[in-house]
Amino acid sequence: MLSDRAPLSLRLAATGGLLFLHLPILLIFLYAFTTEERSFTFPPPGLTTHWFTTAWYDRPDIWPPLYLSLKVAAIATSVALILGTLVAAAMTRAAFFGREQISLLILLPIALPGVITGMALRSAFGMMDIPFSTWTIILGHATFCIVIVYNNAVARMRRLSGGIMEASADLGANAFQTFRHVLLPNMGSALLAGGMLAFALSFDEVIVTIFTAGSGTGAKTLPIWMLDELIRPRQRPVTNVVAIVVFAATFFPILAAYYLTRGGSETAGMGK
Amino acid sequence: MTTAVEFLNVFRHFGPASAPVRAVDGVDLTIAEGSFFAMLGPSGSGKTTCLRLISGFEKPTGGEIRIFGEDVSNTPPHLRNVNTVFQDYALFPHMNVRDNVAYGLMVKGMGRAQRYARAEEMLALVHLDSHGDRKPGQLSGGQRQRVALARALVNEPRVLLLDEPLGALDLKLREAMQDELKALQKRLGLTFVFVTHDQHEALSMADSLAVFNEGKIAQIGTPQEIYDQPATRFVADFVGSSNVLPPALTKALGGPAEWASLRPEATRLAATGPVSGTVTALRYLGAGTRVVITLGETEVAALVPAGQPVPAEGETTSIAFDQQALHLMGAT
Amino acid sequence: MTTSAILPARGLADRLTALFWRRPKVLLALLLTPPLLWLGVVYLGSLAALLLQSFYSIDEFSGVVKEEFTLKTYGELFRPSNFDILVRTVTMAALVTLACAALAFPIAYFAARYAKGHWKAAFYLGVMLPLWSSYLVKVYAWKLILAKEGILGWAAEQTHTGWIISGLLSIPGLEGSSLSTSPIGTFMVFVYIWLPYMILPMQAALERVPNSMLEASADLGATRGQTFRTVVLPLALPGIIAGSIFTFSLTLGDYIIPQIIGNSANFIGMAVYQLQGTAGNIPLAAAFAVVPILIMLIYLAIARRMGAFDAL
Repeated sequence: MLSDRAPLSLRLAATGGLLFLHLPILLIFLYAFTTEERSFTFPPPGLTTHWFTTAWYDRPDIWPPLYLSLKVAAIATSVALILGTLVAAAMTRAAFFGREQISLLILLPIALPGVITGMALRSAFGMMDIPFSTWTIILGHATFCIVIVYNNAVARMRRLSGGIMEASADLGANAFQTFRHVLLPNMGSALLAGGMLAFALSFDEVIVTIFTAGSGTGAKTLPIWMLDELIRPRQRPVTNVVAIVVFAATFFPILAAYYLTRGGSETAGMGK
Repeated sequence: MTTAVEFLNVFRHFGPASAPVRAVDGVDLTIAEGSFFAMLGPSGSGKTTCLRLISGFEKPTGGEIRIFGEDVSNTPPHLRNVNTVFQDYALFPHMNVRDNVAYGLMVKGMGRAQRYARAEEMLALVHLDSHGDRKPGQLSGGQRQRVALARALVNEPRVLLLDEPLGALDLKLREAMQDELKALQKRLGLTFVFVTHDQHEALSMADSLAVFNEGKIAQIGTPQEIYDQPATRFVADFVGSSNVLPPALTKALGGPAEWASLRPEATRLAATGPVSGTVTALRYLGAGTRVVITLGETEVAALVPAGQPVPAEGETTSIAFDQQALHLMGAT
Repeated sequence: MTTSAILPARGLADRLTALFWRRPKVLLALLLTPPLLWLGVVYLGSLAALLLQSFYSIDEFSGVVKEEFTLKTYGELFRPSNFDILVRTVTMAALVTLACAALAFPIAYFAARYAKGHWKAAFYLGVMLPLWSSYLVKVYAWKLILAKEGILGWAAEQTHTGWIISGLLSIPGLEGSSLSTSPIGTFMVFVYIWLPYMILPMQAALERVPNSMLEASADLGATRGQTFRTVVLPLALPGIIAGSIFTFSLTLGDYIIPQIIGNSANFIGMAVYQLQGTAGNIPLAAAFAVVPILIMLIYLAIARRMGAFDAL
């Protein structure tokens, strides 16, 4: 018989591994309250909430990047929701020629390192003389967000018994009625989860963005702003305050996505 | 008598034309209106595909299907006035029972009050009057089965298709539902097409049945005909627990040199006879004992009624029967 | 009066449904056209542009891109300074992958084999949240940790183990004023950031090892170590390889981490970023970007042969 309790060494290693994954993030929170603004002295010499008010009132440079990131993430997610759902719907149908190739094509934008996607888009924009703009950022983001939505949608469609679609048609519903009354209500939470993950991914993306944003001040997303602060720091704790905001903007959608799709083999997040 | 469903040399092949899977391979079939018609066969024999051809979820690769005389080649499932009770019921998980039952009426544009009233009538018909507010997930297997039935019947279909509807139920519930379904069919006078792999179910419920084997119909007839006069060895084997005698044995036992079927209850034990063998198995069935005798290479079962002497395993015995109990099936 | 067995079509929606039923390819085409236009034209088109650019060259005097086919740019990759970058990046990716596999195994094994009910959910979330949470924030956290005056240095001072860090930092090739400016720091951050990508597929593969198989092995007299080596490890291998695809590929392409943590030695991603930006040498940047694609294609071909895709 095997024991149902793990050996102590394994338990320690597993717990240690999880702590290793989580503790560093907590430091971000701690340093947002430090009184020391030029270095990362530990332990912090003193604690203050001063940086939150500074970030809110005295740093107008934070707001445009925040708005831009929200706008990009919202539009890219919408595009990905439509395109990802369409592919998922097509892929759950019977086998057709080119099916394998299409699933590879959807996966490619996240399977290849971001620098390649970024560089590829940048080359294409350059060759076609397309000027950098918000729309070039969105173009890149939507491309790799499609797969996130697709993964969630396709997993749910697979779990839905195909029978209910046939039952709907059998009872007299046309394709549009079946979509509205049967497919959409059953897909809703999976699509919402996919959308949230896509939003989190887009909101946080920096590697592809740098290649597709250009250098104008109007092209600075919040992660690019943060990167600049990391390379040329000023008021370090303010960066921490923004980091907390970015962290929250990704953390909560992920948590929500998890609870929306929990209980299936499709639980969100496996697809990144 | 009107014909409800008609198959005219229907084929349904899957896969490439060079090496097709012949799910349905040249089926001719007539189902009379108001009858309880069973399609019986092992899995993969084409019976379910035939049902899906009627509902429209499969399209024939050859031949023609008519429903009440109308060719349905160009009619999609949602415009066919036939409804299906699916094997896994396929109830909509996000709707309560009442909305499930009223679904067909809703998509046809019937107002809420009216369709709910009709749904309640249907639920009463299947004895689920008080369950309208529940979700399918809160129902037992038998209850789900009834909801599926009510949901299909509410549309007043011309033909009701049932795809192994009792397959998931336990034995007791199954038998109760068999009686109930049969009674419902009689009361409504509706054409039922029932797919099953259970020969007892098919024999006890159907007015007529088709036995499927490898995409073809092996035999079509009333349960009595199929049971007493199986057309082929496959039918004899699959439908009954009949003994199948090879030509040499039939001849040795006094018949012509043909394959023959012989029912165990028509088979008696005899101390002496032209052929004898060893008793190799005994099974007590309550009303009698099933005795298996190995005659050469063939196993023959005989049903010894209760109260008569039963031989022990290993004993040598012979068999006897009335010649008219022997059903001949040809030399090949 | 009995109704017909065929109901009349009630409008456009019914007629379209009938069309989709008669010609399923029409529906398929309608569904696939928009996404394929996007991915096929925008994405594949861009990759083609990248490939095309890598076969152009730059005029050394004017700095203008010459749009003529040449292998000269690829030749430049083999210049010592550029080749160093490739070797450094691939070595780093390989080391990071090995370290991730070693660290991930106990977590994945525990989660797959022992965690039950709430603990299982907690473990799953515990891995998934760091995977998805902000990349930059995580990198930033490590800048705080590895800084000379940061928590690691403080802990070393408190425990009088500072000599370990300074010892590491004096090893030739790994020098730095602190861990945050040493290649050791770069390595640690890579491992941290990509670790969840290794745990999840590994756990998925391990979950497919039935407990009965472990019991059978124990039954046959194998020790725990033997069971592990001869049963668990081979069965988990596809998961490890699947995870390594992520860790390897992600390290190959990353250019943010070595830019923020480390001694600013160049990596492929950084080279691409700098060449397309300040240097304006788009052909060479494109050629650099093609290298990870080639490496990953080879890697994927090997992984496929070892059955890693069943674990994805």
